[in-house]
Amino acid sequence: MRCLVVAVCVLGGSISAAAQQTPASSARTSYTLATASFAGAGKPGEWTSQARDYANTRYSPLEQINATNVASLRLAWSFSDGTQYGHEGGPLVVDDTMYLVTPFPNIAFALDLTKPSPSVKWSFQPNPSPIAIGKACCDAVLRGWAFDDGKLIYNLLDAETVAVDVKTGKQVWRTRMDDPGRGVTMTMSAFTVDGKVFVGNSGGEMGINGWLAALDVTTGKELWRAHAVGPDSDVRLGPDFKPFYPQLEGKDLGVSSWPANMWRTGAGSSWGFISYDPDLKLIYYGTSNPGPRVPAQRPGDNLWTSTMFARDPDTGMAKWAYQFTPHDEWDYDGINEAVLLDMPINGKMRKTLVHFDRNTYAYTLDRTNGEVLVAKNFAYQNWSSGFDMKTGRPIVDPASEPKPGITLDRVCPPDLGQKDWEPPAFSPHTGLLYVGVFNICMKLTDHEVSYIAGTPYDGMEMTRFSVDGKDGDWGAFIAWNPATGTKVWSLPEKFMVMSGAIATAGDIVFYGTTDGWFRAVDAWTGKVLWSQKLGSGVIGQPVTYLGPDGRQYVAVAAGVGGAALVQKSRDGFPPRGNTLYVFSVNGDTIAAQDVPQASTAAAPAAVTPQ
Amino acid sequence: MGALRLVIVALLAAGIAAALTGWVLNQRQISARRAYSYYPSPYSPIAPLGGVAGATPAPTAAETPNPLANDPAAVAEGHKLFMSMNCAGCHGYDAKGGMGPNLTDTYWRYGGTPERIYESILNGRPKGMPAWGLALPPQHIWQLVAFIQSLGGTVSSGMAQAAAEGNLPDKGQNKGASDQQ
Ligand code: HEC
Repeated sequence: MRCLVVAVCVLGGSISAAAQQTPASSARTSYTLATASFAGAGKPGEWTSQARDYANTRYSPLEQINATNVASLRLAWSFSDGTQYGHEGGPLVVDDTMYLVTPFPNIAFALDLTKPSPSVKWSFQPNPSPIAIGKACCDAVLRGWAFDDGKLIYNLLDAETVAVDVKTGKQVWRTRMDDPGRGVTMTMSAFTVDGKVFVGNSGGEMGINGWLAALDVTTGKELWRAHAVGPDSDVRLGPDFKPFYPQLEGKDLGVSSWPANMWRTGAGSSWGFISYDPDLKLIYYGTSNPGPRVPAQRPGDNLWTSTMFARDPDTGMAKWAYQFTPHDEWDYDGINEAVLLDMPINGKMRKTLVHFDRNTYAYTLDRTNGEVLVAKNFAYQNWSSGFDMKTGRPIVDPASEPKPGITLDRVCPPDLGQKDWEPPAFSPHTGLLYVGVFNICMKLTDHEVSYIAGTPYDGMEMTRFSVDGKDGDWGAFIAWNPATGTKVWSLPEKFMVMSGAIATAGDIVFYGTTDGWFRAVDAWTGKVLWSQKLGSGVIGQPVTYLGPDGRQYVAVAAGVGGAALVQKSRDGFPPRGNTLYVFSVNGDTIAAQDVPQASTAAAPAAVTPQ
Repeated sequence: MGALRLVIVALLAAGIAAALTGWVLNQRQISARRAYSYYPSPYSPIAPLGGVAGATPAPTAAETPNPLANDPAAVAEGHKLFMSMNCAGCHGYDAKGGMGPNLTDTYWRYGGTPERIYESILNGRPKGMPAWGLALPPQHIWQLVAFIQSLGGTVSSGMAQAAAEGNLPDKGQNKGASDQQ
């Protein structure tokens, strides 16, 4: 039974009263009238890529679970994968099978959802080299995996990409992409479209040379590789490259915006999510901070770090680029995702890309050319005193610029930004984006560093704390209007919110917290409708799907780690340990057939109580 | 492989190092390959290529205490090296852990005696600790060991067995339980 309409889909009769009501929200109108294409999303009941669709909306059309019954969500089943590093990926659901990959050692599991309490169909152990563990800046994580062409495709921490046959669980191909000995790891989710797999590297703290590459889905053969630093030939800039802002025009800016030869170790890795516009035929992704993290050692704009690229997926050639933080001084990577939305801005319909940068500006760009339409702060910051809409450059407050050996007592946000890689969700009902954010600052001392291959090219000594002082909150979950650049509501959280968010047609938004709460929130009001404490902190990405039994489930992995570990000495920070939790209304799920029955031995003589 | 084209310039025998110090653990001459990136100074330091653990054989003298352990000058030099060799980038400026483990507590993955710590630095360790034997002479490694000893969590050579068996007299200071790597 597959049922999408709440009123006709009452399971077990237990929610019948609640299900009579139509969600109050359906009558309301969108804040922005924003829409998305939802291309690439698979069937309504599936979740076939990390962001669910090419536009990166993380929106599901399922609505069995809604405001009337979400409070009765209970555990349906759970699955422990036995690993300890932070669990940042979201499970994929394709054709009644769930695919899950662990953080290092990157073991893949296929779970059969047709069975009660899903059983393992197969597991695949790629055995990546442990050397990569100590090279990964922010825990031995993996942010997701892709499903395409009958293969589960993902990156290994030791800088390889692997494809596994989903029927057999056997390796189809495996491609070495870079050398972990030099500090390159791979932690991003692979992204597939049009027969190609897109993967990038991590290691922005290690003086690596950043790149994004396209591989052939069938063979794993590399088709092209575009660097973030270096000459135009490396960066794949040609005659078609037309940036909106004049400072981004010119030959070999990826060399000339650096001191001599410094671009070679200039980082610009890409480790976030990729989105794709099938009409414009462009992929979008961001690049990391420049290396070393000490800006005094690299005067210049340091192109093309902390930059968004729009590229032709077939050739890798860039169509446009836009640099969020020129000459980044605080480790404000530009890798955060681009959510592709179409919406009226100042009365004119625009094809946009919405991006919450670590630098605390939320950008709404024209995704055809990289023009900034809206740039507004979504949280507190004190490094920039304003935004110059003419040049597209944030205005830097000189008081927040680090100098080696001099301590700055309070720069906000710290290296992690006020939002890290954790992806937002979009609801076409409300027209809003939902995103986990931070409320933090740092005390910062820069130290000059030398490049030593395979070691951090870093130099930032930091302590991080709440914007609001000793007992202040470190995080929040917000609803954002991307057309006006304004916050609609905000839920304060004691810890940084580092989980992904999803939105559903039931007008529910789900997210988790680093202290282990998994919450369901009314998309219109921000009212928390349900919260469940899980076994560890949530830094993974929730998904929702229809089981073979026609029920809507919501799944999320708990397993704290990643950059959330910067909070580990705070009271209430949970221990590690990865478990996938799957919820349904009342915890209803496929009934187990093989429950053991107590066998009655020869009945003992009845004992009469005295 | 990216445009990171490091040029390996010179090989120098760290027999020099041995000559500097009369108490080299390893009598065998360690040949230190020095690699230079071609950046102008001050951006051209030595590079222990990639840090493959086990690149040099383990030293033989298992019970050699640190000849520099109580030398304040050695501790200060060790601290400088800890910064300049980017140890701080992995283990934290306070050495309390980051990408690499905490070096100030009494929990040691590979043993907390001076000679085990020397070995960790010299040969590297499998989960991403680079091998510095190719880049640093023994004297510098002992200085680093002296600095780590000054942080208070190490174990004297005589306690090696007890430490390995988890039987150190517990002073309630073992913060290492938080080592979750
Ligand atoms: C690239 C990151 C990195 C750099 C640079 C680095 N380390 Fe490590 N170090 C590690 C990791 C990761 C481990 C744990 C290895 C393992 O468990 O196999 C480690 C382990 C150690 C250990 C053993 C700790 C134990 O619990 O037994 C010592 C001692 C040590 N490092 C000292 C140093 C010193 C001194 C330097 C600088 C010369 C240095 N490290 C540079 C990452 C690094």
